[in-house]
Amino acid sequence: MTGKTARLIFWLGTLSSAAIFLWQTYDFHKQTPKFTHTDKLTEQVVAGKKVWHKYNCNDCHTILGFGGYYAPDMTKAFYRLGENNIASIVQHPEVMYKNSFRKMPHLGVSETETKQLVSFLRWVGEIENRHWPPQDEKFVEAYKLRESQPQKLDKVHLVLQACGGCHTFENQGRNVGGDLTAIANRITYDRQTLINYMINPQSVRPGVAMPPQDVSPQTAGIIADFILSLKSTKEVSK
Amino acid sequence: MMLIEYQSQRVSLWYFRLALVLFILQVILGLWLSINYAFTLPQELVNVFPFSTARALHTNLLVAWMLLGFMGGTYYILPPECSRDLFSEKIAYLQLIIFVGAAVTAVVGFLFGWTQGKPLLEIPLPLDWVIVVAALMFIANVAMTIIKAEVRTALQWMLLGGVTFLALMYLFGMPFYQNLNTDYYYWWWVIHLWVEGAWEVVTASIVAYIIMRVTGVDRKVVEKWLYVETGLFLFTGIVGTGHHYYWIGAPDYWIWWGGIFSALEPLPIVLMVVDTWMHVRERKNPIVNPLTWYYIIGLAIYHLVGAGLWGFMHTLPPINYYTHGSQVTVSHGHLAFFGAYALLNLTIFYFAMPRLKGINKYDDRLGKWGFWITTIGMFILGLVFGIAGILQTYLERFLDIGYSTAHLTMMFWFRVAFGVGLVFLAGVVITVYHLFTIRPSNLPAPEPVVAPAADI
Repeated sequence: MTGKTARLIFWLGTLSSAAIFLWQTYDFHKQTPKFTHTDKLTEQVVAGKKVWHKYNCNDCHTILGFGGYYAPDMTKAFYRLGENNIASIVQHPEVMYKNSFRKMPHLGVSETETKQLVSFLRWVGEIENRHWPPQDEKFVEAYKLRESQPQKLDKVHLVLQACGGCHTFENQGRNVGGDLTAIANRITYDRQTLINYMINPQSVRPGVAMPPQDVSPQTAGIIADFILSLKSTKEVSK
Repeated sequence: MMLIEYQSQRVSLWYFRLALVLFILQVILGLWLSINYAFTLPQELVNVFPFSTARALHTNLLVAWMLLGFMGGTYYILPPECSRDLFSEKIAYLQLIIFVGAAVTAVVGFLFGWTQGKPLLEIPLPLDWVIVVAALMFIANVAMTIIKAEVRTALQWMLLGGVTFLALMYLFGMPFYQNLNTDYYYWWWVIHLWVEGAWEVVTASIVAYIIMRVTGVDRKVVEKWLYVETGLFLFTGIVGTGHHYYWIGAPDYWIWWGGIFSALEPLPIVLMVVDTWMHVRERKNPIVNPLTWYYIIGLAIYHLVGAGLWGFMHTLPPINYYTHGSQVTVSHGHLAFFGAYALLNLTIFYFAMPRLKGINKYDDRLGKWGFWITTIGMFILGLVFGIAGILQTYLERFLDIGYSTAHLTMMFWFRVAFGVGLVFLAGVVITVYHLFTIRPSNLPAPEPVVAPAADI
């Protein structure tokens, strides 16, 4: 090979690659509104992105797979956790992770900032990124199912969405309020008491730490059936 | 006695010294990060010194010391390449002060939460501009030296092109992008096009220079390979950026272009290994300091394994779907950065620092310990992160177990990582101590056959 050929390889390689890349960049911008729903990219969402940057969330959490790898990926966090859970975690991490082996710093995020952050995460969750991350797809599906046909809910999904922010079930959810299977085997409530307990815990057990749940009596009924079914299964299997 | 040909080459010594100090700091912070994984820290400590801050320090120190090494290395090889002194020593020192001043301000700022909040690009906007000023001074100084030189070499232009490309890409990381996918699109213009583009060009140029000087192989041969390697680096590396665009909400073709081009990315590195090996075989000069050889060969092989093979496996779309954003990335990141750029910088330091001190043949016993401890230590560390990553991928993405539960299994592996990290730190301390206190060997050195660059 001569020096001239070598120079030709250099210029040909560099320029062809740069040309392809620049064309793809142009096309990326053209298609971005479709993939990210820029019509829903409101001021509130942008404000949320600024909150995300302000507290340097991305150096622990990953989002779209990039970031700190130290804390969960937030791409589909809105579907996985729901608005209320995100708010409680962001504002009171020291309470939510009291028993956790991994801590989140108390950052002093205000209520307004929390709302903006939730809007941001909601918008990020809607980015069409080929169903990634794979493990969160079930939460996305469950969320969409709940929205479209609330009468045909898969009970596990429903319970995890409603209760999984504090309770665990089969290694899923967050262990603040205890494992649902263990609770089911401990409590002595009948169906109606359990429904009352969910809607207003203090009326059944004064002083209990669980906050009132914003669920309809019908939904509470489905959850109650589910929890009571855990109990009988356990007893039979013994 | 001076072994350097031009007095202005001496400016690089301060770049190297500061880089080495930052290197040790970076490793210490890395150990602290592994403690964050391995144990449960109290809430009070997490509140004041969170993982995010420590990580920002760890990665920014990495970038800072490597850039200092590149800049110092460029200042070291430029005068003999151009057969004249640097355009301005004053600019070189002033630029160093500005750069280090910005870095120190950034480090202190991070501790108080002053950040842009973009991972790896945390430095706030005002400091970014200060760094841009320092970079412009650097490029101006390099360009003026080359323009005023009477000799023209391919290596000069390659080096100037590399550092200009590097500085240009930095600008894309500075603005605030409203859309997260656009943010990440241009974020990779800095991160990927640096490490798989601009930095590779600088690396190839510096390696070519050192090989030429150490082996005495003909300039024409070395420069021919430099063109081919750099051409391939840029050909595969530019579109290869696409392997970061699979899951950010971008068009489908990125899967193909990103996948194919990143699969080709090991090619130029293979070429570099072969090329290095051939030059070593055809050398005309006797081996004066074997340690420099250790580093050149180590760099070529480690570069291929860490960046090339690890990267190749990790960026194939069907694999990346599961391993993306897991500890596998951490494993790849450590092996690639150490293998390609830490070893490159250490190669420059071992080439230049003894010469700057007027030492032809040095006592390298400590340095060899440092070399073996750091290279083996980092390799084991990469394997440990890899095991943690494969575990995480399996538990989280195949068995559908929650993130935290999957991460619990990692505590053990990060305790191992902490232990290995301590050994690695010891290796780094030995290396840095050796470089700072390098002294002539009692054994007489064989005379080099080939004359200084001016005569080549």
